[in-house]
Amino acid sequence: MDTHLYLSLVPEALIASMLDPEAFGTYYAVGTMKKAHGQAMFVEVDPAFRDPFFRIDDGMKRCVPHANGNPKRSVYISVYRVAEHVPVSALGSLYLVTHDGRVAELKKETPPVDHAAGLYLYQEICPVNPLVASTKNPIQFHRFMSEPSESVFALPALYFAELKLGGLAVDPERGDGGELPYGNLDHLRQCLVDIRTKQISTKMVDRNHPVAFPYRTVQTGFYFGHGQELAFYPMPAKDELLSRYYAWWRSAQM
Amino acid sequence: MSIDMWLFFAIGLGVVSLGFALYLYAWVNRQDAGGARGQQIAGYIQDGARAYLAKLYGTLAVLVVVLGVLIALIFSLDMLESVKAHQLVGCKKPLEGVWTALAFVAGSACSGLAGYLGMSIAVRANLRAAVAAKVGLNPAFKVAFYAGAVLGMAMVGTAVIGISVIYLFTRDPEIILGFSLGASAMALLAKAGGGIFTKTADIAADLVGKVEAGIPEDDPRNPAVIADNVGDNVGDVAGMGADIFDSYVASAVAAMILGVGVGRDTANPEFYVVFPLVLCAVGMLASFIGIQFVRVGKNGKPGAALNSGTVITCVIFGVLATLLVLAGGYNLGVLIATISGLVIAVLIGFCTDYFTNDERRPVQQVAAMSKSGSAITIITGLSYGLISVVPSMIGIVIATLVSYFSAEAFGISGIYGIGIAAVGMLSITSVIVSADAYGPIVDNAKGIAEMSNMGHEVVERCDTLDSAGNTAKAITKGFAISAAALTVLALFAAYGEVLQGLGLPLKMDLQSPLVLGGVLLGATCPPVFSALLMLAVTKNAFLMIEEIRAQFRAKPGILKGTEIPDYARCVSIASAGALSSLALPAVIAVIIPLAVGLLLGTDALGGFLGGSIFTGVIFAMFMSNAGGLWDNGKKFIEAGHHGGPGSDAHKAAVVGDTVGDPFKDTAGPSINTLITVMSLVSSLFAPVIAALSLANFIK
Repeated sequence: MDTHLYLSLVPEALIASMLDPEAFGTYYAVGTMKKAHGQAMFVEVDPAFRDPFFRIDDGMKRCVPHANGNPKRSVYISVYRVAEHVPVSALGSLYLVTHDGRVAELKKETPPVDHAAGLYLYQEICPVNPLVASTKNPIQFHRFMSEPSESVFALPALYFAELKLGGLAVDPERGDGGELPYGNLDHLRQCLVDIRTKQISTKMVDRNHPVAFPYRTVQTGFYFGHGQELAFYPMPAKDELLSRYYAWWRSAQM
Repeated sequence: MSIDMWLFFAIGLGVVSLGFALYLYAWVNRQDAGGARGQQIAGYIQDGARAYLAKLYGTLAVLVVVLGVLIALIFSLDMLESVKAHQLVGCKKPLEGVWTALAFVAGSACSGLAGYLGMSIAVRANLRAAVAAKVGLNPAFKVAFYAGAVLGMAMVGTAVIGISVIYLFTRDPEIILGFSLGASAMALLAKAGGGIFTKTADIAADLVGKVEAGIPEDDPRNPAVIADNVGDNVGDVAGMGADIFDSYVASAVAAMILGVGVGRDTANPEFYVVFPLVLCAVGMLASFIGIQFVRVGKNGKPGAALNSGTVITCVIFGVLATLLVLAGGYNLGVLIATISGLVIAVLIGFCTDYFTNDERRPVQQVAAMSKSGSAITIITGLSYGLISVVPSMIGIVIATLVSYFSAEAFGISGIYGIGIAAVGMLSITSVIVSADAYGPIVDNAKGIAEMSNMGHEVVERCDTLDSAGNTAKAITKGFAISAAALTVLALFAAYGEVLQGLGLPLKMDLQSPLVLGGVLLGATCPPVFSALLMLAVTKNAFLMIEEIRAQFRAKPGILKGTEIPDYARCVSIASAGALSSLALPAVIAVIIPLAVGLLLGTDALGGFLGGSIFTGVIFAMFMSNAGGLWDNGKKFIEAGHHGGPGSDAHKAAVVGDTVGDPFKDTAGPSINTLITVMSLVSSLFAPVIAALSLANFIK
């Protein structure tokens, strides 16, 4: 049995496991005796990756089958401040797990250069999880948050998702809200009007927004930045999800 | 034509209708049943449905035999003479008790047979419709609708044969009251039991499966999913079928009783007694032709196909009824009454659709209000539900007035006109029931397609068919309640007619404390009956929720998809819970009217019936429509409005939908049967009540 390394995003943790990504996702979301549950996101990390911050080899040694032959499901190698110690080059596919344990794989790609004009909404996933409105596109937002020349706080790592704004992206005052990830529409409109009319480029909409947001509200995809590096995991179109991950799509609608 | 010939005409068309139902049964059964996985899932549903029906019919068989013997004994005596003579005096018609008892048993058996045929094909057609959806929308629609038509055609066929044969032998419409009471007893238990079953499973499956475990609808990992699918069949196929069968028979019987004496100045006075049966036969013929026109056209809209089938059948029936009356030189008043009932039935159906359709303002308003939380959702839904009663009530009033005064204008009894309007309303029952039974079949088909991984295209086709089924279901409920309302008005008149025959004319004076007391007691029954049914749902749902949680704890592989849940256990909980909860509601339906009559007298019982009809019709419409509103409000949000699934608005809408579930599928539609049963019990036992009433003794 192979041993895998997974970087859990909610909560931040580095985990060794003998389960393949799909089995790990199901286990991670629903547990063994229904004692643990909840939507989850994790990235597969290159098993050859090593960093002095982590005792990966110690964890790997403990990740052995149980006496009855069952695979070891999880050995926690590190918790908190994990992402800032894992370079983008070590990241593999991203796995989105639904509340009931269905798993969809998103492949890593180079971030797109072109972005639709307008306003943006970002769900920060780690290190902390505010909901942020911005005039900056994802590349600019990552640079703004991570380059010391752009801001006084330069984060070592920032994982975030671009979420849908619907008609508010171009017309925050009158645009159609439709299916948005944030319930207080009036407040969201006000935040967007503020960043469009005042001398600010980002505004916190919700300080502690749940990272268990509905996956269908993701606009372009997930952006995982480490220093100046940025990995992009595009969210597949609905048709592709329906044909490849039908069961996952249904569960993601819940 | 002689009366016998008319009766043979009705029996002949009944046999054709039943034969057509059997032909469709065989046709549906011949369709492709697909692969092993689908057959396994459908097998679970079939087994669950069979187990429930076996328990229900077993319980009913005992009840029917006991009541049949009691009826035979009671109706073998002339109660009025016995009381006067202080000794038991036999009935002038020696076999009246036996005939009434046999009619009672036959009514139950016919209702049971139609329900069995309908459900037996529904649990086969669901799989075949899903498999046919692989080919396209039209083949799947055809399988589901023809399977629904099995119930529709079998129901009217058995009803018309049953009534005609009894009348052929006895020539006494009052004996047919026994047949009607048999059908109503079956309907009361089938509808209320089916309603409790289906909502127990639905609520439990949703609360634990969806809310706690995050499992989507129709997911095989949910232990209650099969019970939920079985519930669709026992509630909406067998239950709703028995309910409409009951109204269909009751309307015909009431009009037959009111028809005695109507044509006394004509060459063929008995014709107006059998005229309701002739209308039923003509309705069967119209439905037989109309069903042939129901097909999904190039536009691929199954809802339009179902509606066009109803409209075409109405037009055919209208033309045939007009030809019948004009060619036979019969009274034009009955023709106007017939057409008024028919037109109002269709209009009420579409009014109901307005209040429950997600393309209309009420549903969209409820969905929009959900953004402010569940309290506002509930208040808005309740308000629209109450308003929704108005158009239907106006429709019933118009049908009543038009039929009454048109009959009077042409020189026959206005009350007979009301009875004929009810028959006119129910004349297109076949096609209405076909469209109604289509709903749960395609709902199940969608579930089977999901559970057996037939692919999202098949599921989407089934979903399109299912949306049309939901609309058809809403229209059917409006139709069923309105028809029951007009039927009980006719039965109420029949009660007066029976008393008149006994020399005790009904005096409905609201200044009389006995009558007023009766009205108040009667008005209390439908709300209490509704409450008992809904409490049964919550009690049983609680048990099933505990069972589902226990299964998730005991079998951790269920959620991972590596272990199969114990579906049968949930079906068993729903079955046992539904049947054990029926005793008290049944007592309300049968014992309370008898008690009121025996204690307070025949006039008070008249007031009791009036009170129960008024609140019963309002409660039935309000609960059915409010439930439909909340349900479709939730679906509207799930379609991507106001934040979509998982949003705060959705959570509020789910609360509304859960509250509305027992409203629309358990209590609301069951009230129809309650007021019909109470009216029939009163009419049938009127001689006994008149003889033994304490109030009459005191007078």
